Amino acid sequence: MEGLLTAWAAVSLTFFALRVVAGDPVASLLSQGLASPEQVESLRRSLGLDAPLLIQYLRFLRGFLRGDLGVSLYTGRPVSVVIAEQLPATIVLALTGLSLAIFFGLCLGVTAAWKEHSAAGRLAARVAGLATALPVAFTGVISLLLYRYILQFFPSISIIASRRLLLPATVLGFASAGAIARVVQAGLVESMRSPYMLAARARGIGRGVRLLWHALRPALPPATSLSALEAAYLFAGTVVTETVFSRPGLGRLLVNSILQGDYPIAQGVVALAALFYTASHIIADILAFLIDPRLRRTA
Amino acid sequence: MRRDLPALLSAVWLFIVCMVSITAPMISNGSPYQPVAEPLTPPSQHNILGTDALGRDVWTRMVYGARLNPGASLLATAITVVIGGFSGLIAASISGWLDRTIMWITNAMLAIPGLLLAMLFVAAMGPGLPTVILAVGFGGAPGFARLARTIFHQFRERGYVTAAVALGAGRSWVAQHHILPNAQSQLLSLATTHFAWAFMGTTTLTFLGLAGDPSIPEWGAMLNTGRAHLIDAPWLALFPGLAISLTILAVQSLGARLANSEDD
Amino acid sequence: MKSRIQSLTLITLVFSFLFLSIAACSTGPEEPSTLIYGLTLAPTGIDPHLNASSELGIPLHSVYDTLVFLNPDTGKFVPGLADNWTISPDGLTYTFTLRRDVIFHDGTPFNAQAVLANLDRIRDPDNHSQKAVFMLGPLEEVEIIDDYTVAIHLSEPYAPLLDSLSDVYLGMASPTAFETWGPAEYQFHQVGTGPYRLVEYIPNDRLTLDRNPDYAWAPSIYLQPQADIENIIFRFYEDSSTRALALESGEIDIIGEVPPHDATRLSVDADFTLYPVSIPGQPMQFFFNTQLPPTDDAIVRRALIHAVDRSYAVNTVFGVYSVVAHSPFSASAFNLESQDLILDYDPTRAEALLEATGWTAEDGDGIRSKNNIPLELRIVSPPWGSNSEIAQLIRADWETIGARVILEVAPGFGPLKQAQTQGEYHAIGINFFGTDPDLLRSFFSSNGLYNWTGFADPEQDQLLLQAAQTSLDPEERLRLYQQFVSDVQEEALLLPIRFYVNLIVANKRVEGLHFSAQGWYPILIDLRITH
Repeated sequence: MEGLLTAWAAVSLTFFALRVVAGDPVASLLSQGLASPEQVESLRRSLGLDAPLLIQYLRFLRGFLRGDLGVSLYTGRPVSVVIAEQLPATIVLALTGLSLAIFFGLCLGVTAAWKEHSAAGRLAARVAGLATALPVAFTGVISLLLYRYILQFFPSISIIASRRLLLPATVLGFASAGAIARVVQAGLVESMRSPYMLAARARGIGRGVRLLWHALRPALPPATSLSALEAAYLFAGTVVTETVFSRPGLGRLLVNSILQGDYPIAQGVVALAALFYTASHIIADILAFLIDPRLRRTA
Repeated sequence: MRRDLPALLSAVWLFIVCMVSITAPMISNGSPYQPVAEPLTPPSQHNILGTDALGRDVWTRMVYGARLNPGASLLATAITVVIGGFSGLIAASISGWLDRTIMWITNAMLAIPGLLLAMLFVAAMGPGLPTVILAVGFGGAPGFARLARTIFHQFRERGYVTAAVALGAGRSWVAQHHILPNAQSQLLSLATTHFAWAFMGTTTLTFLGLAGDPSIPEWGAMLNTGRAHLIDAPWLALFPGLAISLTILAVQSLGARLANSEDD
Repeated sequence: MKSRIQSLTLITLVFSFLFLSIAACSTGPEEPSTLIYGLTLAPTGIDPHLNASSELGIPLHSVYDTLVFLNPDTGKFVPGLADNWTISPDGLTYTFTLRRDVIFHDGTPFNAQAVLANLDRIRDPDNHSQKAVFMLGPLEEVEIIDDYTVAIHLSEPYAPLLDSLSDVYLGMASPTAFETWGPAEYQFHQVGTGPYRLVEYIPNDRLTLDRNPDYAWAPSIYLQPQADIENIIFRFYEDSSTRALALESGEIDIIGEVPPHDATRLSVDADFTLYPVSIPGQPMQFFFNTQLPPTDDAIVRRALIHAVDRSYAVNTVFGVYSVVAHSPFSASAFNLESQDLILDYDPTRAEALLEATGWTAEDGDGIRSKNNIPLELRIVSPPWGSNSEIAQLIRADWETIGARVILEVAPGFGPLKQAQTQGEYHAIGINFFGTDPDLLRSFFSSNGLYNWTGFADPEQDQLLLQAAQTSLDPEERLRLYQQFVSDVQEEALLLPIRFYVNLIVANKRVEGLHFSAQGWYPILIDLRITH
């Protein structure tokens, strides 16, 4: 319920930010000489821009609920259609990125905890730290550079590591892996010190088994919730990744629509991101509930 | 001492950036807009970081970027701290419906990732460096407000504040004389961490080409144009990319050190 | 409980690997008869009747046929959908006899009614055609004489008509299709008569063409009667830095507008062939605004041209493939380059001209001023085709002679037009491609749609009109345009940079690549893939 309220507020924000700050979207068409004053008047009427702001807002909300996000100022095509065209590419990238983020996060986190006091562990922790700090724009460029050099020696790599999907997804996943790794590591270190782990150790269970089998369990719920939240931030990351790797998708759509001043599209993409973020929050809560028995019992 | 090494290195790097930006006209190779040598000259004695695709000196452009980038991020951080800090302070010192409303708006804005929120502002105001600064400033405000409120709240619960309120002190008086001065050091550490975010935000937006002027000697824009020559002139992307990454790392590790020193 | 966590971890891992394997499969080798063609611009619209992008013709030139075709080698028109045609002695009526055996991809027969429907669609003011309608010039009426004869009546002579009718913007589309879909959606469901059919268009992602097995009316400029390759998929590579990489990794077989440094490298690679293709039309150019001081003064404009080191700029940005342009138009049949009035790079002369007009640098800040107004210049550049790189070098050169320069890159055609309408610019970049010099009329007539210089001279208007109406005497027409070019150079209305040379690189496995007279469009029907 609270999630719905937040989503509503966020979507409203996109409406008011653009309508109030940017002013009349149709007026800019007039100044661009793309339409005559009469056409602008009729366009304004057909877009409902002659109504008071509040009425416009209610209409916008009603349209939004029906999946009608208005039309592009330049091509006249429905925003929902334009977004639907670009959505699959971004979803594939974001999901692949998320899978890789979880994979890298688990690897780094477990290594950092397992070899806590050795060079390997410190390296893993350092890499996780770097992952959160390095801008995607830079890691993306570096990965392209590496890819180019590797391609020179192993031309077949282009089949395995697709520049269109796997490389951008790796860069995207790496950026989110850092946070997941930290949570996993912290959880592992904490539970290794807990009494039941001492008991397991007393029973003679090896360290590796203890770590992976017993200690990982309590460390998973926070990592899972975090992964769901990272999914939302991944979406923001795709904006940069799609630019670096020239991939089609919502991120490119957003940047292009901002540059061209096509407000309805920018508004639609950001509103969708807000919905997505809210949904990830809810999913994160549900996942935490499913995995953590204590939460279920209290409920 | 070992623990301080990263912080020390970070401080050294930031000091270098500061010095370079102050002395830019003296240590550079002329104007950042003028071609000085053959295009795509590799780093050499005359052009220590090489030249770009239009024959401009990369070192000169990096040096002027050292003015532009931290400056832009500082401005953006200042906007965030003022807006976010102020709403956080109001929310924390006045409980009740106003607190709830502010926090509710903040949470709604947080549903849009900061970077996208900033892009929404650029969409509304049109591309350009001033817009980017404002957008990153606004975009970071909700997150900052929430954290600031938590800090202020801690102090509100302290004995001396409760005492002051019991003695009949007004809310704004309490906020001004008790909460704000005591929260200062924590706010500073929060602002430092936020500076790293603002730096990442401004360079990301300029990297996406939202700064308008392509000839601007700004690290994010340079990283973007450098991508065209990854193979024949990788230094064009490497140097600005490294400068951006090092600065973010340095600010983050300094921020972490600041936070640690408070725990001690 | 334990099992749930195990399965969750397992599921995560399985999904990761599933994605990896999908990723690996989706980029595996394509079917032999599929060709992947890289496009370099994702246009906002690809309806040739309504939109103006040059990129749209690359796939669509093979989806549509035109009434006539222009032979790139001879500069002469050859039959297309029209078997033959006659021009009345007064130049006002063009009568076309149409082929009787042509059907559209959707089965609709091609006839005189179809020609009328197409020309009506283009002329419908509600459709806001950006280019095609202007190419029709003073078209007054389209008359159906019989099912396969159609006459086009003009209100005044118009020499470029055949040239217009040979371009993809006036390609013949199925009336059934554009009536079904309406102006906004037709671009996704285009139906022509050409050797390829449009299967699918997803903006920014891909456009797919399928071979038309019924094609039996190839014009003489096509070497093969039918297409060889089954599918051609077009993908978008707007970012020039990724084009060479896409070729090298085997993602695409052909792409144009490869950056010069990459083209040079690939041209010596055993796996690729470089095709430099000159594109007729206007050069990359920056127009001076004659309505805004200080560029309202012709001497200042001359100074600004002298100040720019164009050979350095062209060499730096375009490599060895281009030379500096000195005229406002070039095409194989219209070489208008004149050596008399070339304004070469001469910064000393530029500064002297500025001094002579009162722009002096006395206050010591390095910026010239006149009557206490600083010499401030604003350049507005389009985002495409290296315009902004050239603009950055122009900025540097103008700063050297003591100007303060503001450079703004408009991110698209809309914003560029907006900046132009607001009028706050001293130099603005725009150029169109085309094979007929009448293109110049809309740029240099006082009431021209693209008169972005704001220059107005009745004599010049008359000259351009006369040239446009000289339908029957090509040599006289050429002389009129040469006269016009020397007038333009006298007035220093524009800063021409270079004529476009499209650097197309193709994988060696692709054979038979050649291009239409317009330069941009590959003749897809003649492409073959060797194994």
